Amino acid sequence: MTPNEPLLTVRDLVHEFRTTSGIVHAVSGVSFDVIPGETLGIVGETGSGKSTLARAVLQAPRPTSGSVIFRGMDLTRLHGTRLLQARRHLQMVFQDPFGSLDPKWVVRDLVEEPLIAYRAGGRAARRQRVSEVLELVGLDPAAHGRRRPRELSGGQAQRVAIARAIALNPALIICDEPVSSLDVLIQAQVLNLFERLRTELGLSYLFIAHDLALVKQVSDRVAVMYLGKLCEAGPGETVYREPLHPYTRALLDSIPSTDPKDPAAPRASATISGEPPSPVHPPSGCRFRTRCPRAQDICAAEEPAMRELAAGHTVACHFPLVEAARTTARSEEIEETPR
Amino acid sequence: MTEPLLQVENLRVTFTGQGRPVRAVDGVSYRVYPGQTLAIVGESGSGKTVSCRAVMGLLPSAATIAGSARFAGTQLIGLTDDQLRRHRGADVAMVFQDPTRSLNPTMRIGGQIAEAVRAHRPVTKAHAREQAVELLRLVRIPLPERRCTEYPHQLSGGMRQRVMIAIALACRPRLLIADEATTALDVTTQAQIMELLLELQAELRMTLLLISHDLGLAASYADEVIVMYAGRIVEQAPATLLFSRVRMPYTQALLEAIPRLERPAHSPLPVIGGRPPDLSALPTGCSFAPRCRHAADDCRAAGPPLAEHEPGHRWACWHPVSQGGSGGMGPPGKDRKT
Amino acid sequence: MAASLPDLLVTADTARSRPPRARAAVGWGKTLKLWLPAGFLILLAAACFIWPHVYPVPKPVGGSVLNAGLPPLSPGHIFGTDPVGNDVFSRILYGGQVSFEVGFAVTAIGLLIGGGLGMTAGYWGGAVDAVISRVLDVLIAFPALVLALAIAEGLGPSEVHVIWALCVFSIPASGRIARSATLALREQTFMLAARLSGTRGPRILLRHVIPNIVPQLLTFSLLGVGVIIILEGALSYLGLGIPLPEASWGSMIAQGQQTLTASPDLVLIPSAFLFATVVSLNLVGDALRERWGVR
Repeated sequence: MTPNEPLLTVRDLVHEFRTTSGIVHAVSGVSFDVIPGETLGIVGETGSGKSTLARAVLQAPRPTSGSVIFRGMDLTRLHGTRLLQARRHLQMVFQDPFGSLDPKWVVRDLVEEPLIAYRAGGRAARRQRVSEVLELVGLDPAAHGRRRPRELSGGQAQRVAIARAIALNPALIICDEPVSSLDVLIQAQVLNLFERLRTELGLSYLFIAHDLALVKQVSDRVAVMYLGKLCEAGPGETVYREPLHPYTRALLDSIPSTDPKDPAAPRASATISGEPPSPVHPPSGCRFRTRCPRAQDICAAEEPAMRELAAGHTVACHFPLVEAARTTARSEEIEETPR
Repeated sequence: MTEPLLQVENLRVTFTGQGRPVRAVDGVSYRVYPGQTLAIVGESGSGKTVSCRAVMGLLPSAATIAGSARFAGTQLIGLTDDQLRRHRGADVAMVFQDPTRSLNPTMRIGGQIAEAVRAHRPVTKAHAREQAVELLRLVRIPLPERRCTEYPHQLSGGMRQRVMIAIALACRPRLLIADEATTALDVTTQAQIMELLLELQAELRMTLLLISHDLGLAASYADEVIVMYAGRIVEQAPATLLFSRVRMPYTQALLEAIPRLERPAHSPLPVIGGRPPDLSALPTGCSFAPRCRHAADDCRAAGPPLAEHEPGHRWACWHPVSQGGSGGMGPPGKDRKT
Repeated sequence: MAASLPDLLVTADTARSRPPRARAAVGWGKTLKLWLPAGFLILLAAACFIWPHVYPVPKPVGGSVLNAGLPPLSPGHIFGTDPVGNDVFSRILYGGQVSFEVGFAVTAIGLLIGGGLGMTAGYWGGAVDAVISRVLDVLIAFPALVLALAIAEGLGPSEVHVIWALCVFSIPASGRIARSATLALREQTFMLAARLSGTRGPRILLRHVIPNIVPQLLTFSLLGVGVIIILEGALSYLGLGIPLPEASWGSMIAQGQQTLTASPDLVLIPSAFLFATVVSLNLVGDALRERWGVR
């Protein structure tokens, strides 16, 4: 593999499942790449389908359609042992640190599990690796090795989960809200751990969260997800400074900030109205149109395609927030609709 | 100077269970003035939730409560359940974090609101139902008549929280306590709900008490902010003052640890090690000393008292940081690694 | 306002507030709750199985008619003798052996076969689950006692046949518990994490599912042992269980009925032992349930 060939290529990933209220269109055609050494952040609120996306990439459960090419192999076409082997370098860290650890197991066994499953060395070698990896995440193997998850704090439990994920030296780790259930200070500690491991071990991350500031802090590129589709993707700084999609803009506006403000300055304001639609009945055309202040007729009729409006910066919108009329004629007709 | 609406003096809450007693709240005093928005901020275990529930009388019998909490002059601590019930809803109402657990899943929305209305005022069922529709309108829920006939599971998280607010407002309380009311919501929904709360505060001339772990929320929406750690208040100031001239190292650590949009990607977050103390075995001296960069011997010897060192700004620290924002390393020579 | 009391974010558990001395007593109470009945059971089982080998006891069968009908506390016969001269005490001991053997054998088989089936059905779902569930449903649908009667009638009364007959009851019972416990477990994140770590199905069942469903299964089964013992007693009482003249608490009760007015102790003594054993089993099951937090 050449250095710039993507580590993970996801194309047109779709995942739908049946429930009593109808078919849930959790993920409806998502495409992205992750290149080696980079962190791609995916931001989405509740109902955006981001967690389903993570599981679909891992084939647990298999997506309805689409391709997931990891290190040159399409995971959607692999089964059994071959899928297992292909997935060896792809690991995941979950949101609930306690939920992802078997309460009846001790820390040492939890971290050793992937080594046993993939037959990575004899007993002594595995034990050695477990100690190594526990130290890497900042836990003392002697002190914590024999503890059960309930004897650990949230931050420690998440470190164990991370240790388990890096035991086999993966290339890519999917992080699904890994710090959302942790307190602010512990959250910062764990985030720093993620960063340190990234540089020390040369890891790539697919970092999924609902907190835009958090995602931007850890990511090189950021993609914004809404109701099963990506609205916008691009380098973190650019998406932050020049958001092209109205939803991204709304997300940025809604974030309360701790910067000292003078009392006259506006607070975080809710620039979108209404409720998110149900993924069982997504709106026709652009899914964001029901809450978008810029929506016009065409937004209901035609689904906007993902277009590259700037270097590496793509957006799926008929009326993106662009000043320069660089793209289609439509964007020249844009007026700021009054809020 | 107006009289405070809620005045808490030296509140202490201890839980006795197996083992040593846990001092969840250890001498907390503050005042809330009419029309004000006060935010109490802290991590889990700081005592912020427990102290407010103590005021509302919502703690289990395992809790020993001492101290005073006066609402418009009336002492709330030590009242019987019946007496407290009269206060709850009519004077003080509370909105909790998870509306799914606070709403009865088998009862229609309209019925639940009407029940809240009738709990405090002798009105007919029909009148209560009308009030329910009015309340839903008040919290900006579209098509309120139709919503009244729906069940909680048919509504989204944001809607359910609005219903909770409607229930809380059923009898026009003077003080509304929002206990992590937006924590479980998306950031866009959170913004909507917070705006709603502020509008309602103005419309109904209510006082708001926000409890949260989110400093950003406090900065954006509160007039005054209290920071709690290990059961005590460690800093209190008006929002603008607190964030521009933070003094307590703990508050500063909190501020620095929050990911910010302005920071470049991959920049390490300034972070302090350690974990919050065990509330059943608090260290002598300042409870934050074991983790504090500026801790010195006097910090470990005696806990600093909470005092108003600058007008409007109280803090409890022997060596407060002297610069504002995320700068400031404290007095030279006192840098310690924890 | 909404009146429900939400969970508290409290770092201490909320046991009732008590003075220190009383707090220590709570710990003792819990221990006694478990070990008092468990101790009784262990002693009784030891007595039933070990005593006859250690200490000479008159045989439970083949007693001399000359000794018939002795009341309790007669010399050499602590519990007296029955109408054919057998020593009641030794019949209690040997009858106890039967009860324990049948009780635990049926439960063990139920756990192994039923538990295994249920776990497999719960974990793999789909067609596997459908087939196994239907089999278990069929077994459950049979009224247990009637089926046991039919088997006993058809195959003839003996301890082994009683065990088979009662297994029809215990296998689906354990199977259902195991299946529902496994279904609930399957949704847990750590199961997905285990699969993503590369662990394969059988190993997941062995190392992840079994350790987590054992508390539920075990406590349920302990409560089931009591039921099985009673069923065995009923079968023997009806003459379809352990054949006379071998001793079984149930057949002793049946026999004793015939001379109820003359010597009520022939009914009361085996009944008392049956009762005490079943109650102790239930108490142990409850105590374990509390300890392990099983609902």
